[in-house]
Amino acid sequence: MSSPEPIPPPNDRRGSRASSNADISVQDGNGVMVGGPPGSPSPLQIRASNSLNSKNRRRPIAKQPPDVHLLEYCHTPDSNLVCLICHSPFDKPVKLLCDHYFCRQCLEHAWAAQQDGEKTCPTCRSKVDVDKDLRPVPRIIETMLDELVVKCPNSKSGCDWSDQRANVHDHVMLYCVYTLVQCPSYDCRLHISQKDFHKGCLHYTVSCENCHTSMMMKDLEGHQRTDCPGRSTNCPHCSAEVLRLDFQAHVKEACPKVVIPCSGAVLSCTFTAERAEVASHQETCVVAKLAPHFQEQQARIERSEARLEPLSRRVGILEDGLSNITSMLYPANSEPSLPLSEPLDPTSLEAFPPAHLTAASDFRLSPNPFPSVPQNDVPQTTQPPFDSQIHHLLTMHDSLREEVSRITNALGELDGRTNMMIINESQRQKDEMLHTNAAINSMRMQLHWLMSATLSNRNAAGSSTARASASTAAASGSANSATRGASASAGLGNRATASATLHAPLRRLSDSTRQDTKL
Amino acid sequence: MSAGAKKRIMREYGECLADTPPGMKINFDEQNMTKWEVLLDGPDQSYYAGGHFKLEINFPNEYPFKPPVVAFKTKIYHPNVSNDDKGSMCLGLLRPDEWKPPNKVVAVLRLIQTLLIEPNIDDAIEPSIANEYKENRKEFEKSAKDWVKRYAK
Repeated sequence: MSSPEPIPPPNDRRGSRASSNADISVQDGNGVMVGGPPGSPSPLQIRASNSLNSKNRRRPIAKQPPDVHLLEYCHTPDSNLVCLICHSPFDKPVKLLCDHYFCRQCLEHAWAAQQDGEKTCPTCRSKVDVDKDLRPVPRIIETMLDELVVKCPNSKSGCDWSDQRANVHDHVMLYCVYTLVQCPSYDCRLHISQKDFHKGCLHYTVSCENCHTSMMMKDLEGHQRTDCPGRSTNCPHCSAEVLRLDFQAHVKEACPKVVIPCSGAVLSCTFTAERAEVASHQETCVVAKLAPHFQEQQARIERSEARLEPLSRRVGILEDGLSNITSMLYPANSEPSLPLSEPLDPTSLEAFPPAHLTAASDFRLSPNPFPSVPQNDVPQTTQPPFDSQIHHLLTMHDSLREEVSRITNALGELDGRTNMMIINESQRQKDEMLHTNAAINSMRMQLHWLMSATLSNRNAAGSSTARASASTAAASGSANSATRGASASAGLGNRATASATLHAPLRRLSDSTRQDTKL
Repeated sequence: MSAGAKKRIMREYGECLADTPPGMKINFDEQNMTKWEVLLDGPDQSYYAGGHFKLEINFPNEYPFKPPVVAFKTKIYHPNVSNDDKGSMCLGLLRPDEWKPPNKVVAVLRLIQTLLIEPNIDDAIEPSIANEYKENRKEFEKSAKDWVKRYAK
């Protein structure tokens, strides 16, 4: 029996709908919500949950930050900058009270390996209090460490970057194309270097076409570049040795013996020769010199045409919309070619069925605003009718908007009234139920009292008969003269009187208790 | 074994290569870098001159927080080397409670070499040999040279 939520003010409905789930369900119950049956999540919610799911399902980038301990240094570092535990230059060094320096991580490892749990300096074994004795190292040492020149951790994969150590994190996490990232495929859990990310999942087995070794697709290129025994071939044109991998590019761009046309071929230069000769020909060929400009112009024209197409489509859509609106405005003249000058004619206005215009509930314009415009404009100033039509459309639009807002208000009001009614109704029913409950309760009390009264009555009756029979037996014993029948009848009478005397006070007593409970 | 520990062993090997104590040769296997094989010539000024001893240095997984384990693969008559098939050697900085992470393998190698020249009697693993070294140096020298001839040629 929950009372309904307080009614939102009618103007605030849009905001309250989007605010929370509880609000949405309440609105659904009232039947105001649009889109989907009551109780179904709103489209906004669905979209939100989808995007959340997709975020949870996949983190696109899972790069590992570089481990400073494993970096390779370009020059042998100063031995004073080397941690005695890991034997590489300090990483986040700390200073102990005894003036010994260690990488923070190394120190933690050393302490983890000490069995007794006591923390001592790995060099001099003096006791260390972790909270107090770990000091930061002098700034100059950190600067010297940051300035050490290191190689990229991906240098084995081919990256030849090397710079100061302070930059290595940014390089690996942001710029290095050899950093491993999660494979773009959804069901693949392997890693791939960033430069191959856009190629999709390369984790399937292929066979090298030259040496028939099988390997992962991602390793194929490296294999054909460096490892494959049949990786190089001789160019049939210039008989230079090239990698099979580069053969296509060699023929297309570099091979001096391949026969190619002059670059002015687009402008009808018919010269073809080997690449080397063509190069010297192009020095003199006028057409070849013009070709790049020509191609540029061509590209520009193509771009403009491509831009033109969506524009023309848009114009079409707009024209359609316009004609729709006009045919809606003037259902009488729904001829294919819309007469632009005619619709504002007063005569055509009279063709409107007046019932449509005067109906207050109709969303169309009320009759007074728009007929006045053309009537004033057209005959007096003889403006081009098109202008006044725009004007007319605008006023139409405005009044439509007013209409809509009026309807919105009315809806809100209705909504509020309905809610109020529901509340009142339910309140009354609640009261009634409370009454009923109270009545039931009092009836239960009475029943209970009756039950207990009957029970105690029955008990009392049992004990009184026993007492009565005992007394009659004693009486018969002492008199010795009474007959059995008489004694029996006396016993019965005794019992009756006894029960009568017992009944009367009990009822009175219980009556008084009842009055007590009633009070 | 962590990557950091492996890196450290690699670095130490590089250091040893650059600065090997005389009369020593290290066989290093990149596949199994936690097990070094050291060939050691008996120092000239010791009783073991002329002998060639094979040692094994094993790096535990916790290295450098636990000491490396040194064992003579060639039998040697020495108070600080156990006289069994293990040939283990456990003294000085090699003892777990003495070992410090900053210690280096080169130091271990140097220690071994000095011990061959001058055994440490107070810290002996073979008390009978130590006793003999102390009381009857002649007998000790004879046995040591005999063992060199027998096992370490």
